Amino acid sequence: MNLYFNIAWRYLAGRKTRTFLTTLAIVFGVMVIFGLNGIIPPMLDAFRRSMMTAASAVDITVSQESGGMLPASTLATVQSQEGVAAAAGLFRRNVILPTEAKGAASLKSAPALTVTIQGVDPVSFQEVRNLQVGEGRFIEPGDQQTAVISSNLAKAKGLKLGDLLTMPSAAGKTAYTVVGILADRPLPSEEVYMPLADAQAMFDRAGKITTVEARCTGGYDRKTVQDNLAARLESGVVLEEPEYGAEIFAAVSLGEVIMNAFGVIALIMGGFIIFNTFRTVVAERRRDIGMLRALGASRRYIINMVLVEGLIQGVMGTAVGMLMGYLMALLLVKMINPALQSFVRFEIGNPTFSLATIALTIGLGLGVTLVSGLAPAVAASRITPLEALRPVMTSIRRVTFSKGVLAGIILMGLAVLTFLAGDFKASLLGAFIFLVSLVLVSPALVAPLANVFGRLMSLAFAREGQIAEGNLSRQPHQAATTAATVMIGMCILLAMAGMSTSLTDGMSTYISKSMGADFMALPQSLVLGGGNMGAGSELLARIRAIDGIAAATSIRQVATQANGTAMQMIGIDPEMYPKLANLSFSDGDEKTAFAELAAGRNVMVTGLFATQNNIKRGDTLKVKTLHGEETYYVIGVATDYLNVKLATGFISQENLKNDFDSEMDLMLMANLKPGADRAAVEAQIRALIDEYPAFTLFSSSEWRSSQLGMIQAAMGLLYVLMIGLAAPSLLALMNTLAINVIERTREIGMLRAVGALRKQISRMVLSESLLLAAIGTAFGILSGIWLGYALVQAMDVTGFKMTYFFPYAGILITLAVGLIFGAVAAFFPARRAARMEIVDALRYE
Amino acid sequence: MNIIQTQKLTKIYGTGDAAITALKDINLTVESGSFVAVMGPSGCGKSTLLHLIGGLDRPTSGTVLLDGQDIYALNDDRLTELRRQRIGFIFQFFNLLPVLNVRENAALPLVLDGINRSKASEQALQWLERVGLADRLTHRPDQLSGGQQQRVAIARALASEPALILADEPTGNLDSRASDEIAALLRQVCDEWKQSILMVTHDPRIAAYADRIIFLKDGLVVDDARLNGGSGAAQTALVREKVEAL
Repeated sequence: MNLYFNIAWRYLAGRKTRTFLTTLAIVFGVMVIFGLNGIIPPMLDAFRRSMMTAASAVDITVSQESGGMLPASTLATVQSQEGVAAAAGLFRRNVILPTEAKGAASLKSAPALTVTIQGVDPVSFQEVRNLQVGEGRFIEPGDQQTAVISSNLAKAKGLKLGDLLTMPSAAGKTAYTVVGILADRPLPSEEVYMPLADAQAMFDRAGKITTVEARCTGGYDRKTVQDNLAARLESGVVLEEPEYGAEIFAAVSLGEVIMNAFGVIALIMGGFIIFNTFRTVVAERRRDIGMLRALGASRRYIINMVLVEGLIQGVMGTAVGMLMGYLMALLLVKMINPALQSFVRFEIGNPTFSLATIALTIGLGLGVTLVSGLAPAVAASRITPLEALRPVMTSIRRVTFSKGVLAGIILMGLAVLTFLAGDFKASLLGAFIFLVSLVLVSPALVAPLANVFGRLMSLAFAREGQIAEGNLSRQPHQAATTAATVMIGMCILLAMAGMSTSLTDGMSTYISKSMGADFMALPQSLVLGGGNMGAGSELLARIRAIDGIAAATSIRQVATQANGTAMQMIGIDPEMYPKLANLSFSDGDEKTAFAELAAGRNVMVTGLFATQNNIKRGDTLKVKTLHGEETYYVIGVATDYLNVKLATGFISQENLKNDFDSEMDLMLMANLKPGADRAAVEAQIRALIDEYPAFTLFSSSEWRSSQLGMIQAAMGLLYVLMIGLAAPSLLALMNTLAINVIERTREIGMLRAVGALRKQISRMVLSESLLLAAIGTAFGILSGIWLGYALVQAMDVTGFKMTYFFPYAGILITLAVGLIFGAVAAFFPARRAARMEIVDALRYE
Repeated sequence: MNIIQTQKLTKIYGTGDAAITALKDINLTVESGSFVAVMGPSGCGKSTLLHLIGGLDRPTSGTVLLDGQDIYALNDDRLTELRRQRIGFIFQFFNLLPVLNVRENAALPLVLDGINRSKASEQALQWLERVGLADRLTHRPDQLSGGQQQRVAIARALASEPALILADEPTGNLDSRASDEIAALLRQVCDEWKQSILMVTHDPRIAAYADRIIFLKDGLVVDDARLNGGSGAAQTALVREKVEAL
């Protein structure tokens, strides 16, 4: 081991540039995987905190499955259960404390706080929970408009005992006197305890409770008590809290998968680079290896020697990559947070790295290095001792029809077949198969393609281009691996460019369709189910009453389940809504759909929900409601802008009231009468909205442009990421060229000796680089168009109605990036080649 | 006693019409402790003979006995082990590992054999002192002259105290002065340290240092001459005569 390490280390140290370039490839892949995995947990955590009430330590929690109100009998049922010592009814809801600033400015101000309102009967509640108060006292019977707050909230809002806490309520806003601050708890939370009646009034729900909490009698098994109780509960009432935001988790975990896929692609490209380097290393050291074999080194010994060299680079690359990944995560969090704050009103914490993430990263980093080094190592072990005795001329290989090429051709046929199958999943799979088939076929295509591009090249560099073409053709495998790396980079770049064009177009269509009203009163969080405080129906009535308003409507929301999966129901007014906005239909009749919504238990679902649950127009949904399961008929697949990524159904507000007991307006829209004084009307609405701090008034054009700006910013970030992902192609090119120049030192010396100018040597390297880049880019464009099309198709099916645009601009950009990469990659190798002294080069071993 | 005995050793390259017989039914012996040179025109099979005796290649038929042991009855791993422990190689192009220094290069076969590094290094030092490189221990190969590099290679070949040293044109890449020094060193290796040496060369002056010269032509042994220990110049003249006779 000692000797392996010694030899490996000195070889690596002796070729510092090459070692650096190869290791950089690993650094890059590890950085992407490690960094992204560091951000995802705090991101999920932030969602969780923002969406769900802080879980408390009680034996039994009973709530309505749909997240709504409990039937009146539930508390009595729990209290009478054998094994239950005490039970209390609670009114628990999340509410977002508004920020101080108003209007559009609030989009950029400090993050809003999500607090959990806990309306309790102090006596029965303390029998169940026994909360410890740090300062002041807990709520007492007979208290009115008093509040006990968590220490975290007190710190965040700078509240002391006796201060007034003003919160949005159904009536506008209400102030509560802080009478107690809870003792610090291990899990920080933002909670407000208040008398049950106050909480019910706050949400305009007199006499209702959302939750029953209970404590078991000592000696009873909690599980048994739960099971017995569950059997006695009314239908729709469950023993655990509903997962608020389950529909959002689906979107986040999809993002996680995509990000990890990027990381793995980056590592695979790193693997290609390592593979190429090691193959060259082995070729270069044939004589050394032959000598070692002659001296009695076994095959295994040679394999280990090469692998140890890989391992050293793997360890260094992984270590540096993890450090860079950490820094990248910090930077990304800093960049993402402002956007998230204004969009969904929460902040991501610092990156955290679980043991699993660390293990995964180290495993992948070292694993890819070792796997990539294995084939060259085995090839090295096959070198015979005879090679030490007689230097062999590097033979020129013409690849025609190897097994790999044949497999590639078969795969290519398969890819076309899957594409013709028409299904989006098959088409996506087909794009990946096509990529793999190109990698396999490329060794056979290098020579003919180099020939074609070489003709173009010879227009510019008549003499050097030909030598460059020959250089590529004589090592088709090496050239193919490099071209494959370039191809993957360019393919991703083009696919994403194509998709982002379609995505931006789709989003702006949604915005103009569903958010087209003149004025909009939007809640704190654009995720409607994210704990927003709504308004009672009088606000809408008062807006309608304003002179100069032609029409106004509202949107309501509840969380529920349909056919066993979590979803949200949006309640719209079938008569008014179409006058102010519209949905984007992928199935169903736009003209009759709204009238149908009013005609019975009919629902329109988003494409995401339809795809996930395999629902079509004409199917039925079993929806959990307050009074058990009800059957809704699916009359269309459609979406608005806000719910495009969510599992959502649209029903009439009438049905929402009857089946879910919800009449709270979460979002309001209004249109001007023709010829009305816009400024005057806006002032009147603004005066009304000011009484409801949970809402912010926007004029639509201003809001639309801010949203479009945000989408463009997000796309910009995506482009930066894509160029980052294409970067390994640049590395691969540089690496191959640098190695080629080193390998051909003697040839270059000979060329100089017979009269090649330094400039010509430099051009020769540049031509080679451009040829490689051109081949890789050509393949990349071909597969990128396919992948982009498949992605748009896939997005369309999962709910984003998108039009496919052929990416003309994307192709030009990709071509430009590819050729620029080619030119940049050639710079240092070309300079090195041109600067060689003839005599030294000729003597080079 | 014979250190090497070949039995009907035959090597044919290629098949069918393209087949070339490099060696044909060679039976020869090398006595323990002797210095034998193999000479002959290009393509006569002298390198092939050396490769087959050293276990670097496999014969088409026939075999080689090293100390009475049939080396081609061994599998690849056992043959590798045998090379490591019983045979020392000296190459025309020295073949030192560029990344190791003089002392480490000389110790390489011992380290490959699993001998502890400090002991291997100690043993390598002894041989480096004997070949006159005690003052170059930490130099890298590229800091040495050709003659010095070949001395390191000789020290490396001797370090594991093998039964036989095989030298393939050891002076082929050296100037005449360095060539004489290396040939004299090989003579010393044989006389003082009692090693058996089989050397392929095409230089009569170098071959004259040997005890015995085997002449090959077209894959056959055509002459086998013992030198009688006369003066250097006289011996060289004798060898030249024989070469020209071929």
